[in-house]
Amino acid sequence: MSPVIEALELTRNFPSRSGWVGAKRDVWALRGINLSISRGETVGVVGESGCGKSTLGNILLGLDSPTGGGVRFEGKYLHDFKGAHRRQMRKRMQLVFQDPFGSLDPRRSVGAQIADGLRNHDVVPAAEIPAEVARLLTLVGLAPSVAPRRPSQFSGGQRQRIAIARALAPRPDFIVADEPVSALDVSIQAQIVNLLADLREELDLAMLFISHDLHVVRHLCTRVVVMYLGRIVEEGPAEQIFTAPRHPYTQALLAATPSLKRPAGETGKVLDGELPSPANPPSGCAFRTRCALATGDCASAVPPLETVGPERRTACFHADLTAGQGGLQ
Amino acid sequence: MTRAQRSLYIWLGLAAVLIAFPLLAPVLPLQPTIGMDIPHRFAGPSAANWLGNDEYGRDVLSRIIWGARASLAVAFGSAFCAAVIGTILGLLGGYFRGITEVLAVRSTEIVICLPPLLLAMLVITILGAGVLTLTVALTILFVPNYTRVVYAATLQTGGLDFVKAQEAMGTHPLKILARTVLPNIVPPLLVQFSLTVASGILLESGLSFLGLGVVPPAPSWGLMIRAARAAMDQQPLLLLWPSLALAGTVLLLNVICDRLQDVLSPKTAARGGAAWLRRQIKRTPDAPAPEVPLLKIEDLSVGVALEQGSMGLTKGIAFEVKPGETMALVGESGSGKTLTGLAMTGLLPNALSVTGGHAWFRTEAGVVDLAALTEEEFGPLRGNDISMVFQDAAAALNPVHRIGDQLAEIIQCHRPMPKQQAEAEVVELLRKVGIPDPERRIRAYPFELSGGQRQRAMIAMAVANAPKLLIADEPTTALDPTIQAQILRLFAKLKEDNPGMGVIFVTHNLAVVKEIATHVSVMYAGQVVEQGTVEEVFADPRHPYTKALLASVPESDAERLESIPGTVPQPGAMPEGCRFAPRCGHAAAACAAPQPLLDTGEGRTTRCLRWADLWKDVA
Repeated sequence: MSPVIEALELTRNFPSRSGWVGAKRDVWALRGINLSISRGETVGVVGESGCGKSTLGNILLGLDSPTGGGVRFEGKYLHDFKGAHRRQMRKRMQLVFQDPFGSLDPRRSVGAQIADGLRNHDVVPAAEIPAEVARLLTLVGLAPSVAPRRPSQFSGGQRQRIAIARALAPRPDFIVADEPVSALDVSIQAQIVNLLADLREELDLAMLFISHDLHVVRHLCTRVVVMYLGRIVEEGPAEQIFTAPRHPYTQALLAATPSLKRPAGETGKVLDGELPSPANPPSGCAFRTRCALATGDCASAVPPLETVGPERRTACFHADLTAGQGGLQ
Repeated sequence: MTRAQRSLYIWLGLAAVLIAFPLLAPVLPLQPTIGMDIPHRFAGPSAANWLGNDEYGRDVLSRIIWGARASLAVAFGSAFCAAVIGTILGLLGGYFRGITEVLAVRSTEIVICLPPLLLAMLVITILGAGVLTLTVALTILFVPNYTRVVYAATLQTGGLDFVKAQEAMGTHPLKILARTVLPNIVPPLLVQFSLTVASGILLESGLSFLGLGVVPPAPSWGLMIRAARAAMDQQPLLLLWPSLALAGTVLLLNVICDRLQDVLSPKTAARGGAAWLRRQIKRTPDAPAPEVPLLKIEDLSVGVALEQGSMGLTKGIAFEVKPGETMALVGESGSGKTLTGLAMTGLLPNALSVTGGHAWFRTEAGVVDLAALTEEEFGPLRGNDISMVFQDAAAALNPVHRIGDQLAEIIQCHRPMPKQQAEAEVVELLRKVGIPDPERRIRAYPFELSGGQRQRAMIAMAVANAPKLLIADEPTTALDPTIQAQILRLFAKLKEDNPGMGVIFVTHNLAVVKEIATHVSVMYAGQVVEQGTVEEVFADPRHPYTKALLASVPESDAERLESIPGTVPQPGAMPEGCRFAPRCGHAAAACAAPQPLLDTGEGRTTRCLRWADLWKDVA
């Protein structure tokens, strides 16, 4: 199956300067990212803040431009489109935000905000807009009668449903969900995760699901990429990544995730230290400063993303040592 | 009609009445504005001349009303034109940035560099004096003010998610500006408008005086003030009338702008005020203090004061924390877990107060009721016996003071000691919470630390005086998994170091509860619904809500997650009986009555009437 969206050698630096006259130094947000997503597939992106997850989402949607590499949507490069064509393209790709309180305009009714997406691209004739808004609200599990209300009259979970309805309005093929459930309560989170899973099936969407909650990613995603400091360090089918992680960082991430199933009193191995500054990353493998397996090789060269199994790739020189360790209970 | 709308209409009505006077001036039975009456110059108010006569014996009332036409036309006209132009430039510059920003914003700032009066004189000299020219000159002067305000507001609003959502939807940029950005920057725009009108009236007076605006003998407020100032010692009242008209106009405009903001704002303004201005309700303990090991909360309720009486937010919270125990308060947002934590430290938000119950706490001096303490009585306890760790360390630490100074302050506040000694203690403290290189780090400002280190610094602050009770409100929620694991380990270590410390750990994450707590109180809609040790409650929940909550954690292998239908009831619309009944699959007729917390043995309680029926095998 041909992918809906592909990232090819994506690189993004943010230029920065330390102080007024300090040396110019690029902050590397993304480095050499290759990724493709097909219809009906949900790719989970996990990693800690500052690893470039959200930048990746923004670039795939065309809301930010890469410094190197390109994004192909249905085989066509996004950067070939400008102005009105670009906006026309945008209706095919939509975004669901993390914060349900910040992502809706507080001053306009939710119906009007959902209708924006319909009006912008003449998805349906003007006369049918109210009916279509009602259909979208029903699709996300809300009563059509709520359309004239303002966002402040809704709870967090309901707002997230509205945000999803708004994203679905222009009938997209690809959705980026940037931490869509991390601001929600557990019971509401389950509702939204179920809703996203249903929509994926019903509408055959390609989805990029950005999250730091590994349990949710495991539940919802078909494939997972793990990012560390702007690079993909591991990639593979979700179930395999969670049961048999190969990169030491993935293993550490899984160990750090609290679990109800973990026997009482037993805490996971805690990774020391913090994410190095993306403005001054370590040479070679970026994870080597926190890695127990690090050797001299790790400092001298960046480990390439190598195939370690069917559809499995990992970027570690010591991948042969890590097999059979770690995993989420 | 809401209260805010009613208030706006009242003020608008008043403004309409006042504006009617100058508008109707030609048909009102006013005396001529330029008819001199030298014998009666500086005469006081009389039946014929209500506000008296000026230095040429002209009627002051009719000059004020006629003068309003010129003054208000210039002030409002220039303020409005400048608002339109400045807003457009600011929106374009702030949204598109780059070259547009240079052209739209930076270029208007050149105007700011020139002395305002000089610039206005230049414009008027070129175009000739008159009301219209004056309006043009003032418009040019005011444009940069609006541009800057709107530019700043646009930069801020443009970064918000809902604007990004419009971009993602492919909305035309100009449509985004008009429909999404503009309505959200109205508040600062309105403030700027009322300021500009006021300064417009004043500038008009100055320029008119120089013969560059309204030409005497035609009246304007500015001219009247100028003239009256010269004759101040002969007839001070002459200065009063135009000044009153000026001040009244500006105040009225400010009030209308404020009310307009209230009406336009999607949120209702917060009530209450500074703590020391509020009525201190001294609640006298109506029961003798019982003997408690550390903390015992009995029937604690927190409510919000509204116009129509108070509304309960939490009701009948009861739990006990013994030394060395970690009690987790777990529940969804709106369940009252944070409020309960805040009530223990007397830090409830302004509009909220404890409306009933007790929180008995053992101090050196004996048992006190935390629910009945005044602000002054809380002072010595907070940060000493009881301390708190907040979720957002970046917001809780003062950004302009060094970490070391903030820590030293809390130590010296409760245990006076010389600076050197305090500093040594701070270094030790930072080392204890795992901040590397503490000798250097005490000189760091909060922004120089990473998120995890800031959280460590705040924990250091909380444990600085070895508290008996530590309240942690979602301390790891904002952190990454590996950092969260480090902080949880730190909490475990602190408890080892200080085994007598009781901890209340507020969180919504059940897996974290399992990791850190010994006891758990599950909260729902302002009530505790189930209590017991973590191990027992998680293994064998005895309330349908606890059971559903545990099932909705995405750790099972089930294809679909268990989710609880519906949402948490809103305060003010709580069900009469069991608050979970509307979402509960096991609700029966008896659940419609208020439910007490039932003792189910082995130190466990549940607020479910049917627990024994539903879990017969365990009962």
